[in-house]
Amino acid sequence: MKNEILIQRLLKEAEQAALQQHTRRHFLKESAMGFGALALGSLLGSCGTNSSEASSSLFDASNPLAPRSPMFPGKAKSVIYLHMAGAPSQLELFSYKPELAKLDGQDCPQSLLEGKKFAFIRGVPKMLGPQAKFKQYGQSGLWLSDNLPHLSTVADEIAMLNAVTTDQFNHAPAQLLMQTGSARLGRPSIGSWVTYGMGSENKNLPGFVVLTSGGNNPDAGKSVWGSGFLPSVYQGVQCRGEGDPVLFIKDPDGMDRDLRKASIDAINKINHDQYAEYQDPEILSRIAQYEMAYKMQISVPEVMNINDEPAYIHEMYGTEPGKTSFANNVLLARKLVEKGVRYIQLFDWGWDTHGNSASGSVDIGLVNKCRSVDKPITALILDLKQRGLLDETLIVWGAEFGRTPMQENREGKDMPYKGRDHHAGAFNMWMAGGGIKGGTSYGETDEIGYDIVSGKTEAFDIQATILNQLGFDHEKLTYESQGRPFRLTDVGGKVITDIIS
Amino acid sequence: MKLFYSKKLIIIASLLIIVAVLYKLAIPDPQVDYNTQVKPIINKKCISCHGGVKQEAGFSLLFQEEALGITESGKPAILPGNPDESELIKRISHTDPDERMPYKHEALSEEEIDILRQWIKEGAKWGEHWAYISVKKQDVPDYSSKWIRNDVDQFVYQKLDEENLKPSSEADKATLLRRLSLDLIGMPASEQIAAKYLKDNSDKAYDNLVNDLMASSRYGERWTSLWLDLSRYADTRGYEADRGRNIWKYRDWLINAFNTDKPYNDFLIEQLAGDLMPDPDDAKYIATAFHRNTMTNDEGGTDNEEFRTAAVMDRVNTTWTALMGTTFNCVQCHSHPYDPFKSDEYYKFLAFFNNSRDEDTQSEYPVLRQYNTADSLKFSQLIGWLRNNVSEAAARKYHVFLKTWQPTINSLQCDQFVNGALISSWYAGLRNKGTCRLKNVVLENKNQLMFRYNSNYDGGKWFIYLDSLNGQLVKTIPLSNTKGQWQIISTTFPQIKGKHNLYFKYYSPAIKTADETGVQFEWFQFDQNFPGKGKPGFELAYKDFNYLMQAKVDATPIMFENNGDQYRATHVFERGNWMVKGKAVKADVPDIMNPLPPNVPRNRLGMALWLTDKKNPLVARTMVNRLWEQLFGYGLAETLEDLGTQGISPTHKELLDHLSWKFMNEYNWSIKRLLKEIVTSATYRQDSKVNDELIKKDPNNKFYARGSRVRLSAEQLRDQGLEVSNLLSKKMYGKSVMPFQPTGIWRSPYNGDVWKMSEAEDQFRRALYTYLKRTAPYPSMITFDGGAREVCIPRRIRTNTPLQALTSLNDSTSHVIARNLAYRMQKTGGKEANKQIQKGYEIMMYKPISPVRQKALVDLYNAALNKFKKDHKAVNEIVGLKDKEKGSNAETAAMVVVAGAMLNMDEWLNKN
Repeated sequence: MKNEILIQRLLKEAEQAALQQHTRRHFLKESAMGFGALALGSLLGSCGTNSSEASSSLFDASNPLAPRSPMFPGKAKSVIYLHMAGAPSQLELFSYKPELAKLDGQDCPQSLLEGKKFAFIRGVPKMLGPQAKFKQYGQSGLWLSDNLPHLSTVADEIAMLNAVTTDQFNHAPAQLLMQTGSARLGRPSIGSWVTYGMGSENKNLPGFVVLTSGGNNPDAGKSVWGSGFLPSVYQGVQCRGEGDPVLFIKDPDGMDRDLRKASIDAINKINHDQYAEYQDPEILSRIAQYEMAYKMQISVPEVMNINDEPAYIHEMYGTEPGKTSFANNVLLARKLVEKGVRYIQLFDWGWDTHGNSASGSVDIGLVNKCRSVDKPITALILDLKQRGLLDETLIVWGAEFGRTPMQENREGKDMPYKGRDHHAGAFNMWMAGGGIKGGTSYGETDEIGYDIVSGKTEAFDIQATILNQLGFDHEKLTYESQGRPFRLTDVGGKVITDIIS
Repeated sequence: MKLFYSKKLIIIASLLIIVAVLYKLAIPDPQVDYNTQVKPIINKKCISCHGGVKQEAGFSLLFQEEALGITESGKPAILPGNPDESELIKRISHTDPDERMPYKHEALSEEEIDILRQWIKEGAKWGEHWAYISVKKQDVPDYSSKWIRNDVDQFVYQKLDEENLKPSSEADKATLLRRLSLDLIGMPASEQIAAKYLKDNSDKAYDNLVNDLMASSRYGERWTSLWLDLSRYADTRGYEADRGRNIWKYRDWLINAFNTDKPYNDFLIEQLAGDLMPDPDDAKYIATAFHRNTMTNDEGGTDNEEFRTAAVMDRVNTTWTALMGTTFNCVQCHSHPYDPFKSDEYYKFLAFFNNSRDEDTQSEYPVLRQYNTADSLKFSQLIGWLRNNVSEAAARKYHVFLKTWQPTINSLQCDQFVNGALISSWYAGLRNKGTCRLKNVVLENKNQLMFRYNSNYDGGKWFIYLDSLNGQLVKTIPLSNTKGQWQIISTTFPQIKGKHNLYFKYYSPAIKTADETGVQFEWFQFDQNFPGKGKPGFELAYKDFNYLMQAKVDATPIMFENNGDQYRATHVFERGNWMVKGKAVKADVPDIMNPLPPNVPRNRLGMALWLTDKKNPLVARTMVNRLWEQLFGYGLAETLEDLGTQGISPTHKELLDHLSWKFMNEYNWSIKRLLKEIVTSATYRQDSKVNDELIKKDPNNKFYARGSRVRLSAEQLRDQGLEVSNLLSKKMYGKSVMPFQPTGIWRSPYNGDVWKMSEAEDQFRRALYTYLKRTAPYPSMITFDGGAREVCIPRRIRTNTPLQALTSLNDSTSHVIARNLAYRMQKTGGKEANKQIQKGYEIMMYKPISPVRQKALVDLYNAALNKFKKDHKAVNEIVGLKDKEKGSNAETAAMVVVAGAMLNMDEWLNKN
């Protein structure tokens, strides 16, 4: 497996070398080589031992966000990761299971329950047939449900992962595993690793931006965009739909731009005087940070403002300026990609469909949630494509786990609405753009979508693939903490080569 | 000419080499040192395949017996005294790349091979890493420089001398005052203390200042901030709903402990095992909340045992990381990759923690139940009655039971539910005719059942069967309608021998639908009747007992040890997986460390006594190193969290050991005395100015040829701002507060808690009192490198980012501070703006402003004044409408802008 990746990378490097005059990053090639050399020899298990090479950190306290080239030229320059917090049902979206329809209402066979643990199902639940209609779309014949009428028009852009699995069946730990590689708190998120590896290309914007919608933060809280043991400078910066788009970006009322400029000039004059006295280079770094802060005050509100987008774009995405919505966040993600932000993480809360309420059901709530994301996600793919950015922007869609083919029977009781319990065993995710082969699918599950038959894909594999598309070997992007090198994928992870173009 | 010189040089060089070779032959090399010469090569080149994680070819270099033992080939790889026959030497110097080690990695250098060869020749003697050898008394160097003030300086001077560096002179008084205040009390000294020091020109002035600051109650608050990171203190439980947790009394315990200078050994023993000390009072229980700062997962459907186990492992990891600077968590899955700890030893140590009563319950049991004043009196009277009329033992037992509700059995131990469920994983709930099981209940010598339950139905009945649902019906208990309120009931229970599974069934004729839960149980207790029946006053005592069991209390999570009935066996987890239990182990400490002291109990208390034994090589060193880091910005060993072989070696190991020895033996673990020795040294008192040459030679000031210049912590930044603007509340202790925070930060699912702004002076408390929600920490704290404290934070890494600039420029708190500082400047600085600016600078920095800085600020003032004279709306906005009465004029507004700039000066954000 390792050899395959190696060969693949060599081919890719050769290909990239030929194209280098077209890539905006080739000027950094020199440093890319340097990076590769530094990281070489750190092919280690995560709890393994280190060598002097592996312990070299990319962290430069004086300029921690300086743009750095990845280890090898990656297909993707940015990532937009759409996480549906709460976990939508794959059986009503992507996983076409006609056999399950036949079993609807029957008692779940004991064989499916033995040795399994569920969050809420107790005793013997009933099977629940698909609550949506499926059809095949595109050249590839991708099965999609009628909950996703827009997405079906871009079916051939998508690489579907049919057999994703996790070992966590509670939201917070499962989200942490998906986003940080560990079900426990304290590890850096994917975006933090990427920012640590690549720095920030746009000096006036954060390198890692987080946008949330759906009324709540994801269940695991801000830890899913935290920097763990990496320096805090690499944590995600949450851009908000209400109040300041970035906390404290706005000057106090009564302070206009000229006065802010005058005040930062005064601060920096004083700091230069202090530097003359103390000669501490950290003072110069602080002067630079104040200059950057001033620039960010202009660039962040600018990029976070969608008012000036043309009407057809608003129509396409279904955006309404001034609101906090998933659609607005998706449009913002596109704008951020255009500005060179490397990693944009979206969380949309409210997908937990146990059947305990109408909004938490697979036949009502789920349909409404789909309506709020189907159009903007499709628009994102089309819009990036028309701007020539889809090839270099990796889109990842997913959640922390899937849902059971059984109807939930919380505490052994019937639920008021149709719902499904958390299912860690098998669920769907998809990727598009950024060097992903559209119109492909990988992995399959059994005829009721309960167990994996082939192509098992774990969180570590998704993470390894994201890093690979950006130009990183997930085994080599390490950081020394508590006396040993850590990596995002712990001791696992293999790049899903079947879906890479 | 040139050629001639070159030739000459070659001849000279050759001669030198010959001399050197002869010299080397004549004088034998000193013995190869394992720790400094051999171990680094092994760690770098060999251990990843031949160590704790992998033992390729059956060969490992981690422990001596493994290294010298027989490998898969049938013979040892190292033959002491015989390098040429040793497979290790053969393989590292092999010419065939398929045979040569390290396999497929860069070969060892000639020099490295020579070291290993020589080491084996000298007998392959093993050495222990310095940090695992008990601290010894150090010889203090004897330099006679006038610069030297105390022993610290002797060690520092020695190193400077070796490095050809000269120490800097003492910083000016103003700088020292600010530095010392920020270091010792975390904020500027009170005006009184500051004025006294600045006026005092005697030799004693500085010492007096140290004493004054240490006597201030602000001192305890400052050092508590540090300990909150280590103890992962937070006001919420973490994970999904991240509900609130009432554990602030632990924070207050810390403040008191630091202020009264509780000796560090007692400080640790009480936190680790206060509950196991003889007759623990409330304070000792509260101290044990240290290890109740672990997270609990309230998310519905979670496995409580999984998260109980996670909390126990976190206690082990935190104990080692925070108190012993060791990355013990590596040993969860396998032997430590490079430090001498075996995998089993992790679980042996875990066994010390595995018998606390907590089980990831919703109510966070066990808790310390603290009564209000009236009830406390009742409580004392009741305990007194028991002492006089029953026995001392009974008085103790009921003291503990009333204070903790322990020992009891949590209802989440119930299983085999039919027509019932563990509701939200918290409470055993039964519907009509529902049943469940409670396993392994010890019934011997028990004649009473006490339980806590709630029900919304009349006429409920609870049937208890022995050993199976078809077994003997041993008890029927009527359960009345409690209208959803929790209630504690006690009832007689038949005397039954031994340990049994009990089966519960519930029935109420009032329940009409199949789905209704009729009853929820929280805990059960099987015990003997309340004692003293027939004694005078029994009725009143029993009534008080029942009252106090249900009285309203303030509850703080604490540690409480399982009694014999509930004892948990500890097993090794295979590859660190808690689901796969390996062999059973007994509580013990790792072999490499000092043994458990004789005659200590093999429980948490024994472990705490072992930890604070003067033979423990890590505890004093870790704390000394940490205190040093707090003062100088870097530890003597930079990696505070890892003193092991992969940590960064100490720059001044002898100084670290000297201070550690003194800390234990001369200062009797007094933190104040230790700090005083350090801050009164000439090393500490140096000027922090540098020059190009020094920056190049020693960028991070590892040799201390100058004072350290360090960016302030998030806490120090808030506190000093509030203090100079006269806003800081001096109030100590109490529930955590919620100062201004932008809206929309808290968004936890399934949790309606909101950030409710505190009122009046609680808006302006010191940073350590700010409510910390783990999933959404206070923004400005995080921006300035504070943490969410989900797990122990052994060291904060300082960063320097534009988000910090935005926070100190624009956060409302920053702006309110600027506004109030401006008022103070106007009030005390006289009429002229430049005088006011001078005054402001002096308030902040204790010294006159330089002309360049003054000009920059006066120019800013004039620019602002110009603008504000033309813009009244802006004036009102800057000054804040509510503050109109303080004079909303253009001058004030301009001064607020100036004050805001001053609060962003690098020298203000740093400690010079």
